Amino acid sequence: METAPLLKMSQISKTFPGVLALDKVDFELRRGEVHVLLGENGAGKSTLMKILSGAYQKSSGEIELDGVPVSIKNPRHAQDLGISTIYQELNLIPHLSIAENIFLGREPSKFASVIDQRALVRAARELLKGLGLTVDPSARVKRLGIAEQQMVEVAKALSLETRILIMDEPTSALSQQEIKQLFATIRRLKEGGVSIIYISHRLEELFELGDRVTVLRDGRSVATCEVAETSKPELIRLMVNRELTEQFPKRQATIGEEILRLEGLTTSGLRDISFSLHKGEVLGIAGLMGAGRTELAQAIFGVEKIEAGQIYVKGKARRITSPRRAINCGIGFLTEDRKSQGLVLRLSVGENLCLPSVDKFTSWGMVDRNKEKLACRRYIQELRIRTPSLKQKVSFLSGGNQQKVVLGKWLCSEAEIFIFDEPTRGVDVGAKTEIYELMDRLTAEGVAIIMISSELPEVLGMSDRVLVMRSGEIAGEFSANEATQERVLQCALMA
Amino acid sequence: MKKLLIMMLLILIALIGCQRGGDRAGGPPKIAFVMKTANNPFFIEMQKGAEQAAQRLGVNLIVQAADREVDVEKQMQIVENLIQAKVAALCVTPSGSREIVPAIDKANRAGIPVVIVDTRVDEKALSESHGKIAAFIGSDNYEGGKVAGEFLAKRLGGKGKVAVLEGIPGHETGDSRLRGFREAIKATPEIQIVASQTANWERDQGFNVFQNILQSHPDVQAVFACSDLMALGAVEAIAAAKKTGQIVVVGFDALAEARKAVEQGTMEATVAQSPATMGELAVENAYRLLKGEQIKPEITVPIKLITKENVTSQ
Amino acid sequence: MRPNGIALRQNFLLHHARQLGTLSGLLVLGLVLWVLTPHFLTLSNLLNVAEQATIIAIVAVGMTFVILTAGIDLSVGSVLAFAGVVMASALHAGAPLPFALLAGLVTGTVCGLVNGLLITLGRLPPFIATLGMMSVARGTALMYTGGRPISGFSENFRWLATGEVLRVPIPVIVMIGIYAIAFFVLTRTKLGRYTYAIGGNEEATHLSGVNVRFYKTVVYGLAGLFSGLAAILLTARLNSAQPIAGMMYELDAIAATVIGGTSLLGGEGNVLGTLIGALIMAVLRNGLNLLGVSSFLQQVVIGSVIIVAVLIDMALKRRGKYS
Repeated sequence: METAPLLKMSQISKTFPGVLALDKVDFELRRGEVHVLLGENGAGKSTLMKILSGAYQKSSGEIELDGVPVSIKNPRHAQDLGISTIYQELNLIPHLSIAENIFLGREPSKFASVIDQRALVRAARELLKGLGLTVDPSARVKRLGIAEQQMVEVAKALSLETRILIMDEPTSALSQQEIKQLFATIRRLKEGGVSIIYISHRLEELFELGDRVTVLRDGRSVATCEVAETSKPELIRLMVNRELTEQFPKRQATIGEEILRLEGLTTSGLRDISFSLHKGEVLGIAGLMGAGRTELAQAIFGVEKIEAGQIYVKGKARRITSPRRAINCGIGFLTEDRKSQGLVLRLSVGENLCLPSVDKFTSWGMVDRNKEKLACRRYIQELRIRTPSLKQKVSFLSGGNQQKVVLGKWLCSEAEIFIFDEPTRGVDVGAKTEIYELMDRLTAEGVAIIMISSELPEVLGMSDRVLVMRSGEIAGEFSANEATQERVLQCALMA
Repeated sequence: MKKLLIMMLLILIALIGCQRGGDRAGGPPKIAFVMKTANNPFFIEMQKGAEQAAQRLGVNLIVQAADREVDVEKQMQIVENLIQAKVAALCVTPSGSREIVPAIDKANRAGIPVVIVDTRVDEKALSESHGKIAAFIGSDNYEGGKVAGEFLAKRLGGKGKVAVLEGIPGHETGDSRLRGFREAIKATPEIQIVASQTANWERDQGFNVFQNILQSHPDVQAVFACSDLMALGAVEAIAAAKKTGQIVVVGFDALAEARKAVEQGTMEATVAQSPATMGELAVENAYRLLKGEQIKPEITVPIKLITKENVTSQ
Repeated sequence: MRPNGIALRQNFLLHHARQLGTLSGLLVLGLVLWVLTPHFLTLSNLLNVAEQATIIAIVAVGMTFVILTAGIDLSVGSVLAFAGVVMASALHAGAPLPFALLAGLVTGTVCGLVNGLLITLGRLPPFIATLGMMSVARGTALMYTGGRPISGFSENFRWLATGEVLRVPIPVIVMIGIYAIAFFVLTRTKLGRYTYAIGGNEEATHLSGVNVRFYKTVVYGLAGLFSGLAAILLTARLNSAQPIAGMMYELDAIAATVIGGTSLLGGEGNVLGTLIGALIMAVLRNGLNLLGVSSFLQQVVIGSVIIVAVLIDMALKRRGKYS
């Protein structure tokens, strides 16, 4: 079925100081299709979408809507043209109600700008019903789960008479059940004639949902094809321009002596956690959201207060009451959210790399910058961090490279125990493999890793042992041989 | 766009540059008048008097003041800057009677005569630094306080409870008025000062402080405020307490608004200092000094008590 | 990827573009005043302006540290007054000069540390903690002195304000020294690094093992220390320590910091900008006095300059001229 394109972006380029982010990209969107935008982190997907949604101005190129050239001046203008975006980080105001959020800035008013609360709620209820959602429109948004909040964003977009809906990694924070619900909504929207641009790293979703796919690589559009006519390996090849024969590296480490032991660890959210970790081992921690996995990492790292129990590092009982003490014990923590917890975005790559270990380069309170520079150079090389210089602000790096900077921080602090909390969230296939390889190399050097992850294939593919957590306790332990998706999932779900 | 801006800037500079020529020519003598502040009626009247004299005598008068009355540092900066601007003579109402001394020293060193207006310079501090002033022009605040005290004592029949609103402590003006008032009250032992608190020369603080005094001493019969602004604040506090006419209010400075209050009866009396005369005399004497004439080292501007009887005759 | 040399040089310019912008603002201001009045560009007037800038400039150093951590210190002016009267009464009590100076500096530092502890241990927002300290320090100074200024000091002490070395007033030399030290501390020491890191992302810094509470407390202590130092210079300058000294200095210090390009959100800026900011304010006041502009108009002009400076800064940022 060939129809004239609803949207045509041709030869779009965008430059930032020192960076060519987009290089003559072509992109086309048909009426009522789900068009998946695929590419590694830093390939230019977000930049392209920000141009379409008016957040950025293009440096050159043409945008046509319904065959008419338009220049999108700002986000408001994009909205008026019927283009809405749902970002990864949702833009809702937690203290307002669902209805108020949906109509923020466009509240129906009776007279003298007194808001007509009833009309507001009524209109919101109708919109939500259309999406198959049965929540009370006057409920506060902060009470909703992430999936429901996303629905509110969708409803908001619909209320704007959206023709083009951009969704940036909508499933990254959703459970399996919620994803199904979201997909049902997307199909309904599609039937209603809305065109959807869908950005995702998850190839499975693409095949389940997409009509066509456009692959971006290094700021260029590599290919556009019908989903039905392509395959996973081909897409991966297009994205990274190399065949990925095996996602997970063959583990080479030999498991050595015990390095960390927890005995009866109890905090406000954890009960009686005991396990041990050995040199060269990857210990996977699986479990549903809210099972206490991040709390466990925080307890080991001295963020959560320990109420009972004991932590032993290399056989010695240690009281870890602050991150500083954890670091002194040789522990490094790669947090789930690198932007708010892992990095100081306004500081440079070098300054971030050395943040936990400035002491090493300091004498009499003064930082020896040459020594520091040498160390940073080493880690940039070792981790292949792509940055023009040490002085580059870390906020200018792509997501994958930022993650590597976080990793470098802990390498620099000479950690021997790494806690990875969702190490590959929001990271593309190529960078994922790179991170797995790094984990393998680290363990080969005798480092021990605790890996918290929601992606079962990753847990099963990388771990030597798997612990499953459920409501603040350890619900089961599996060796690499015993662990299967079914067993782990069953253990995590069991009431 | 950028070029246009630069062009405009250049034109502006050229235009102003032409104007600058006048500055260098001999012209009339440049006299600077530095007041405590420019946003208080007392000093506004002083400024008017000074400007009138300047116009009459053909003097190029520059009036400057700090934003806040008590900002001694800013006042010192202004004096320093005016010394740089090479004024011929300086008239100053000191924000602080001791803190002004370093500034006087600087003017002395630059050979610029200083006429002090309204607030006296601390004699000790001045002699310690071997500073010199050309003249002091002002009224006797101590005498004014005394006149107000005597009036109040007579008005209350030599008996009663009195409250006092003080100025900022450590201020020569306020301190002198206060001492004069206390001296007068001492003569009538049956008059009791039940409360004496600062309202920092300000009207809104006069309101708040007197409201608080009314809470703790509901039987207070009279209030003396060291300035009219504080007195007017007290008048409003009395009105808010629905006690208008029951409490005798005496102020100081004879501001236009205070005179009106005396006329209407919400205030009983105010001490007239005539700031306009001070400003006028200051500029006049500075001018005579520059012409090489001798001037008196101390010029007193007479004090007068304004009451309902004489308010209209002013 | 581009060759490293070019990227680095570009980086240097990008890094300092903001300060260059402020500096050119100061130069333009100077140029305009030079045209408008013959009294501006003389050695004695320039030294005069520099001396007038010292008090605010020194207070603003502490303010810059605090604002870099994304905090604010409203108490600097009151702390200045308190430290001043403590030092002055020590002098009047016959204490040896170094001891009295130390008393002033310690008083300031202690007030600052209390601010820091209220913020870190007491978990008060900086605005509230320092607002409280502003009132407490002022009130204590007034009680301590009974509201009266303490004045009249030895020539030795007054030399701190009246002395000159090669015609340069001592306060100006002190100011330059302080800025050199502060620049060094911010760029080369651990304390400086952590100051930026805390302002950029406090949580990430904490999770990197930095004792955030300790360093924040130290930073507020520094603000108090600089207030104490400014108190010494101000007292020497006026030959009097007033309990009501330094009112609204906090706002001037914040203005100097912001004009100098330090972001109120923290993590961005440096002290060189602040020095230029303080000089701009002093030059502006000086120029307006020289020109005999009315004191009402002066307030309007100074306020407008602050707004315009920040507007230009933000416009440049949006255009991506520098980061």
